[in-house]
Amino acid sequence: MTAQSIPADLLLSAIREAGVQDVVLVPDTHQRTVLDLLMDDDQIRTVHCSTEDEAIAVSAGLIIGGRRPMMQIQHAGLYASVNNLRGVGLDGQFPIVMLIGLLGRDPELDPRDDGSSMVRLCEPLLDTLGIPSHLLDGPDDLHHVAAAFDEAAERGGPVALFVGAPTS
Amino acid sequence: MTDTTNNSEIQRMSLESALDVLARRRDDQVVVGTMTANGVWRDKSPHDLNLACIGFMGGASTLALGVALSQPERDVWVIDGDGSLMMQLGSLGTIAGAGPSNFLHIVIHNGVYETSGSQPLPSQQQVDFAKMAEGAGYAQTASFGDAEEFDAALDELLAADGPTLIQLFTRPGGRFFSARPTPPGITPALARMWPPVAEALR
Repeated sequence: MTAQSIPADLLLSAIREAGVQDVVLVPDTHQRTVLDLLMDDDQIRTVHCSTEDEAIAVSAGLIIGGRRPMMQIQHAGLYASVNNLRGVGLDGQFPIVMLIGLLGRDPELDPRDDGSSMVRLCEPLLDTLGIPSHLLDGPDDLHHVAAAFDEAAERGGPVALFVGAPTS
Repeated sequence: MTDTTNNSEIQRMSLESALDVLARRRDDQVVVGTMTANGVWRDKSPHDLNLACIGFMGGASTLALGVALSQPERDVWVIDGDGSLMMQLGSLGTIAGAGPSNFLHIVIHNGVYETSGSQPLPSQQQVDFAKMAEGAGYAQTASFGDAEEFDAALDELLAADGPTLIQLFTRPGGRFFSARPTPPGITPALARMWPPVAEALR
């Protein structure tokens, strides 16, 4: 396994094609090139949050109001957001799709074997919460973006997408 | 408007009288409530557009922010608690940054964690959320400890663009709640509550 960088414009196209209207974010080093494009995008609105658990609640509110949001965060923020992921995402059965950067991940290793606990424990944490996750390890995996929204709607709950290498 | 220079000597109204003032202005706003205010508000203003948040640890205001951003033509009110807001103080910056003009943030300031037995907040009487919101960049802020003063000022506050934060000093009411066991397989309250609200907003 070798994770490849996804060009920012390709990831942004996949986000657009998934029908995303709002990106609710706390900045992620791993996805900074995508964030740069999003800041200048006139079709997708960005909502900047102080914390990742706020991002979950904002996303839920946007869904109530009829919008199609996507969260964009870093792995550390996933750990910080667990109570709202449970209390809002799971208990509310909100179809929230989260794009999560695996900052510091060894691209040669399965994330579950990574030396960093920040990377290694992400998937097991979501397994514990019963939240499906998919790894974007290169441009060939971008089909997971639109599919994640379908999966979230069908399940009635959050779905995570991990960005395996820094976007370019 | 209440002078908050010395909060330890501040006048406080009952939660019921404070929410009566708000309920008299209720029309078609979405109202997101949390903790002790939920039950009182439900009695004062039963409505299809009420949403109750329990166990969010301060998330009610940002859920309301999402609704406000998605429904710019409709006013959205959140009835927040001081203990809840203390858990998510960064949300003041998030809300001010997003800047929804249709957003009213009510903070019930009773100085205690009432649902868990009225233990004091870390800063109890001293914390001033109106000053914090002003510093964060809310369009307007105000504080009241008297229901008649609140009533007299509210229409003007509602007429102006938000985001607006109104801090209401209330007396603790001893509303202690003990959670009941949830039987397996029950759909959580939030999952039952929000789809009808979403449907009403379509």
